[in-house]
Amino acid sequence: MKTSNIIIFSGTIAAFMLAGCEDFLERNLQGELTQSTFPVSEQDALLATNAVYATLREWHYHSGGYPILDIMSDDARKGSNPNDQFATIGPYDNFDITTTQDGLDRWWATLYLGIKRANVVIEKGSQIEMDTVLRNRYVGEARFLRGLFYFDLLRAWGGVPKVTVITPPLKLQRASKEEIYSLIEADLLYAIDNLVEKSALPSTDYGRATKGTAKALLAKVYLFKHDFVNAEKYALEVIVSGEYDLEPVFADANGVNGEQGIESVLEIGALGVESSDGPGNQYANTQGVRGSPNRGWGFNRPTLDLRNSYEPGDPRLDATIIDLGETLDGIEIKGDGTTPDETRDNENNLIEVECYNQKVWVPGDNTITQYGHNRRLIRYAEVLLMAAEALNENDKSGEALQYLNQVRERARQGNNSILPDITETSKDALRDIILRERRSELALEGHRFWDLVRTGKAPTVLGPLGFVEGKNELLPIPQNEIDISQGTLIQNPNWE
Amino acid sequence: MLIRSIITLLHLTGKRIRILSTLAFAISFSFLSYAQERMITGRIVSTDNNESLPGVNILIKGTSRGTVTDFDGNYSIMVGPADSVLFFSFIGYNPKEVRIGSQTVIDVILEQESVQLDQIVVIGYGTVKKSDLTGAVSSVKTKDITKITSVNPEQSLMGKAAGVQVISTSGAPGAVPVIRIRGVGTFNNSSPIFVVDGVILDNISFLNSADIESMEILKDASATAIYGSRGANGVIIVTTKSGKIGDIKPTVSYSGEVSLQKLAKKIDLLNGKEFATIANEIRPGSYNNIDLVPNTDWQDLVFHTAPMQSHQFSASGATDRSQYYYALGYISQKGIIDKSNYERITLKLNNVYNLASFLKLGNNITIAPYKQQNAPNVTYSAYRAQPLLEPYFPDGSFSGVYNVGNPLADLKYSNDFNRVLRGVGNVFVEGRIVKAITIKSSFGVDANLTKVKKFTPAYLVYYPDGTPSQQQNIYSDLYKENNANLTWLWENTLNFNKTFNNHSLDAVIGYTMQNTTSEQFKIHGENLLRDGEDLWYIKDVNIYSDPNINTLKDIKNEVDPNLYYSMISYLFRANYTYRNRYILTFTFRRDGSSKFIKDKRFSNFPSFAAGWNITEEKFMQNIPVISKLKLRGSWGIIGNEKIQFYDRFARTQDLLVVLGQPEASNPAVSYGVSGNPDLTWESTKQTDIGLEVGIYKNKLTAEIDYYRRITDDILVQLSTPGYLGNGQGQKIRYNAASVLNRGLEFLLSYKGRFSDFIYNLGLNGSTVHNEVLEVGGNSGVDSVLIGGYLGNGIPVTQSRVGLPIGAFYGYETNGVFQTQEDLNTYPHTSQAEAGDLRFADVNNDDIINGNDRTYIGSPIPSFIFGFNADMDYAGFDFSFDIQGQTGNKIFNGKEAVRPDPYNFEKHVMDRWTGPGTSNTEPRPSWGGYNYTPSDRFIQNGSFLRLRNVTLGYTLPASLGEKLYARDIRIYLKGTNLVTLTKFTGYTPEIGSDDVLSNGIDNGIYPITAVYSFGLNLTF
Repeated sequence: MKTSNIIIFSGTIAAFMLAGCEDFLERNLQGELTQSTFPVSEQDALLATNAVYATLREWHYHSGGYPILDIMSDDARKGSNPNDQFATIGPYDNFDITTTQDGLDRWWATLYLGIKRANVVIEKGSQIEMDTVLRNRYVGEARFLRGLFYFDLLRAWGGVPKVTVITPPLKLQRASKEEIYSLIEADLLYAIDNLVEKSALPSTDYGRATKGTAKALLAKVYLFKHDFVNAEKYALEVIVSGEYDLEPVFADANGVNGEQGIESVLEIGALGVESSDGPGNQYANTQGVRGSPNRGWGFNRPTLDLRNSYEPGDPRLDATIIDLGETLDGIEIKGDGTTPDETRDNENNLIEVECYNQKVWVPGDNTITQYGHNRRLIRYAEVLLMAAEALNENDKSGEALQYLNQVRERARQGNNSILPDITETSKDALRDIILRERRSELALEGHRFWDLVRTGKAPTVLGPLGFVEGKNELLPIPQNEIDISQGTLIQNPNWE
Repeated sequence: MLIRSIITLLHLTGKRIRILSTLAFAISFSFLSYAQERMITGRIVSTDNNESLPGVNILIKGTSRGTVTDFDGNYSIMVGPADSVLFFSFIGYNPKEVRIGSQTVIDVILEQESVQLDQIVVIGYGTVKKSDLTGAVSSVKTKDITKITSVNPEQSLMGKAAGVQVISTSGAPGAVPVIRIRGVGTFNNSSPIFVVDGVILDNISFLNSADIESMEILKDASATAIYGSRGANGVIIVTTKSGKIGDIKPTVSYSGEVSLQKLAKKIDLLNGKEFATIANEIRPGSYNNIDLVPNTDWQDLVFHTAPMQSHQFSASGATDRSQYYYALGYISQKGIIDKSNYERITLKLNNVYNLASFLKLGNNITIAPYKQQNAPNVTYSAYRAQPLLEPYFPDGSFSGVYNVGNPLADLKYSNDFNRVLRGVGNVFVEGRIVKAITIKSSFGVDANLTKVKKFTPAYLVYYPDGTPSQQQNIYSDLYKENNANLTWLWENTLNFNKTFNNHSLDAVIGYTMQNTTSEQFKIHGENLLRDGEDLWYIKDVNIYSDPNINTLKDIKNEVDPNLYYSMISYLFRANYTYRNRYILTFTFRRDGSSKFIKDKRFSNFPSFAAGWNITEEKFMQNIPVISKLKLRGSWGIIGNEKIQFYDRFARTQDLLVVLGQPEASNPAVSYGVSGNPDLTWESTKQTDIGLEVGIYKNKLTAEIDYYRRITDDILVQLSTPGYLGNGQGQKIRYNAASVLNRGLEFLLSYKGRFSDFIYNLGLNGSTVHNEVLEVGGNSGVDSVLIGGYLGNGIPVTQSRVGLPIGAFYGYETNGVFQTQEDLNTYPHTSQAEAGDLRFADVNNDDIINGNDRTYIGSPIPSFIFGFNADMDYAGFDFSFDIQGQTGNKIFNGKEAVRPDPYNFEKHVMDRWTGPGTSNTEPRPSWGGYNYTPSDRFIQNGSFLRLRNVTLGYTLPASLGEKLYARDIRIYLKGTNLVTLTKFTGYTPEIGSDDVLSNGIDNGIYPITAVYSFGLNLTF
């Protein structure tokens, strides 16, 4: 090769070098859509709507992963073996938590994760050119779920930052409780207008929010707001719609046989797959029988107090608590070797026995099937009890009894010697009876703590457990959220 | 004192050996005598003061006959008529050949090997004479690189170069250590880049140490700016071996080494009886008769002595038209924990062909298939397992270990393999257009195929009481991953080199392109028909059905987010020297990266440096003692862009929703974590001032550098408010932090000799002051980087302004509450009782809460140092390296995580048992309050380690020749034999790739002590 050839050669190289520079540095995202290319079609709108529901299966959606609402109530203790999550979940049992307590930030962040996903549908989905009715339905589903998420935030923390767009500004302050209530109301009313009734859904879509679902939730929101007139209105609308009824067998109301069934108003579908991003739900695994059979971690242990609260012979007790030695679906419950069968205090009083939450029971003897439990967020029995409560508060105790007794009738399973119909019509007395009925019917389903708070009974009932009035009605804002906000978020009263 | 006695010992043994070898010669000589032989005598002296040289090897070229000089440097040798050339060689001197002719007396003056002054230093895109160097560059040569018994060549840098910290992340075979040059410069990947024969890489763990000629560590801006956006954490240039011009005769060599690795130290844990004693205090009545409980030493069960071996064959040489180096290496290292083995083959092929006097063609190629087996973290489970549980049932099946799982069962059921095929190489052509100008074009490739295979059979371990434990796997699991990564790099440079009168200019200008792509396939299946490896394949596509036979559970196909980008760069460097006295260097690189959006894509990285060789000045000529005095300084801006390519994109996320009756899973998509399109480069401004001194012909040399580097616009992932909806723990990347590193580095070396005893001593050290200057800025997001998550998810580091990166953060303890009165007088949380730790009320608000957490130590050592000594005497070589660090702390994370009853470290025996019993060790508990992250778990991370001791013996050349070998050396070697430290864990070296999780011992695989025997043969 001659020198001149080298010059030609290098000239060629130089020419190559100058060509196609810019394209060479364009490397797109691989295997994923970006937020600028989604959602743009009718199919995208469906996918984005589905994603809001997916939040419900996030483990942290369920009060941060652990059933702390029941643990904080008089229905349950921490559970598992004495040392398991002693320092992290244990303090919820006696209201000894701090602002950095494990789980708070997870729950907070996951509720807002759901809100963001809802906002994607509300903000972007509404721009998509497609069938208007269907589009409004999708937006309605998203708004329903956004209302649901805010309702948890509101009950757990009070007024929280109000986010109604995909990208909110930084340093957002807490909105007032009233603003959040209005947002929830507006969302649910929109949902009621744009959703269809359950009977109009194809069976493959069961699990989506319907008119009835939205009304039931709205009734509940009004109960918490002490707006009993509206609570009565929407609860009764659900009842008269004829879309729902009670499962003949109480156990089916939460069990496999009743999944997406007649009593199901709002339910989280899940398949028995043990995987963090699969279609399973760890909610039931967290509370599943520990040891043998190995169904889970055994959190949320029913208290002796709950056991004793049932009326004599109430079959719901047996359907609520799994005791050692019991045989369920052919499987003998032996329990956990590291958990004492009985725990006694210093005076040798029995304070806890090893037992588990039967409402999350799924037939099977492994942890995998346990992931398939469908958690019921609202079931028709609760709607009946909400109606009864609202009617009683609206001085219609006579009407109230009708719905209350429907629940009791199903509970007694044809055995007329137990759970007699309630005839009490005194407002105050009936209020207590309804509350007790809620406890028996809805135990370990995450209602009790908030029922006590909203009825003002928490200081009396939970005081001995450590509840402090004026403080424990709300959880502390997670400390890291306050830190990140550089002081923009103000802590709840008495938590500083 | 020790050194002196070793020297004496060497003198003595050396003498004996020489007598023996002389004897051997005499005998062989007598057999080979001929009638026409004649005697040649002579004296050999050094150019240095005409000192006589004893022990010089004299060989008749082409024969195996030879001799050595006596104490006065005299020799005599019989030569035959056919013999024509005598070859004189002596360590530390340039060898010499003398034609015999008709002489009978041949006196020879040997010239001392000139060191340092003419040393050629490899810098980016060229080489430079050490005297012309304006940057801070450390060199480590081949001899030191093979000193350490390790599969990773990076390990050899430990303690060898000032300012370079090498920290093991694990002692597992094949584990890649973390390297930090001049502190920790960023919150991101803070590792230097490697440039292997011109190919830019992230690691060199595929290289065989024996194939490496030298490693040069570029530290300051002047040296690293030529690598622009990738130079901010330093650059390590690796030059592999090549055939040496002049080696007409091929050099064929074999190196073999066999080693034994041992656990260097056990952790002092409670035995069965002690554990029962403590357990009974925590929960009375737990054990009825503490004398009868079993005592299982889980550490003994988990660790065992393990072998290691390596073999390397190489052939190298040169002809007038080519240079070549071929090598085949094999290394196999078993782990001291079962199923953590490593095996590698390396093929090395370096060639240069002179196609014409002005044109060269060459290649440097490494192909390395390797296999790594990963054991589960049984180090941590053996640490936690209660000592009074038996490992097995009488029938030999595993017995469950409460809360932890039986580590032996974990091992038994684990099958986790990585198989990698790595090919790195380049082909280059280099032409000289005119005398002063050469152009070079090099095309390099880094191809990496990785196959991951993990299989867990179905199993169930029962507790001692017969109930099933949590340690179980219901269905067998098979996970496979195939990754293919390919990088190509095309570099074109033009070099200009001209000296005229007193001016000398060396310049390079270049253009480079790099493209990196990757693709991963991941597949997960369950419930295989059989457990055998022959059936480790996934068949069905029955996703999310009820678990049936051979169910496909999960499949993923994506790119590796770290390996998908391209770059375009323009580079320029000019090095101007006037009268060898004044040196000026200007370096410039302009980089464009696909990781940033168009507007932010390109950035410039300039540096300026100057050097002054004071010894070249006239006024220095009168001071002959000082052989070298050089002052140099540099300033420049360098960058860092090691972030995942998708950080700038706002991504979506694929999800699932289960709907319907019957239920079915439906696809769902929503917005994932928000991206940040405004991202741009991190930039580091570094200033360096260095002084190099040589005394007595550079017998003693010293190099001192002061550096100060500030990294701005650090790309940090910051926690964002939960209400942004990114989800729990999700973060967004911003250019929003600054870090300062400054310090002093020094290197002292001394080359000395007493007659034929030659020794070299080296000492290096460096200080680091690391400080976060800014986090978060005004972006309205987090102003602190939280990291260092323990096993229970609790973070123990906070990087805040004014603290070092990854500073430990927690409560300060100030004693133990002795009595109830104590409790009443001092603020405490409601959980504290007598016997519990007292946390300091740092903010004096009479409340102990999260606001009282404070800085409790830095994981970054303030001083790291190394001392190296090697000596040669009469065929013996002896060397040792000492290395250490001070000023850093270790967070004993494995002790701090206690959700359940685990075994304890021995110090719990000094516990508080009542007023006045202990003011440091609280009452024992299974967890809870006393295990809140506090300085209780902070330990001193300083250590002093005997890193290496080698004793070798090279057989006399004459004896070697008999075995047809040019050189035969055998050696004994110890690696990591002694470590002096106060740290209670296995090793005080606790590294992490994540700079926020540095120095936290969550139960890492112990570093081993290695005893080796080796053999080097050169033919």
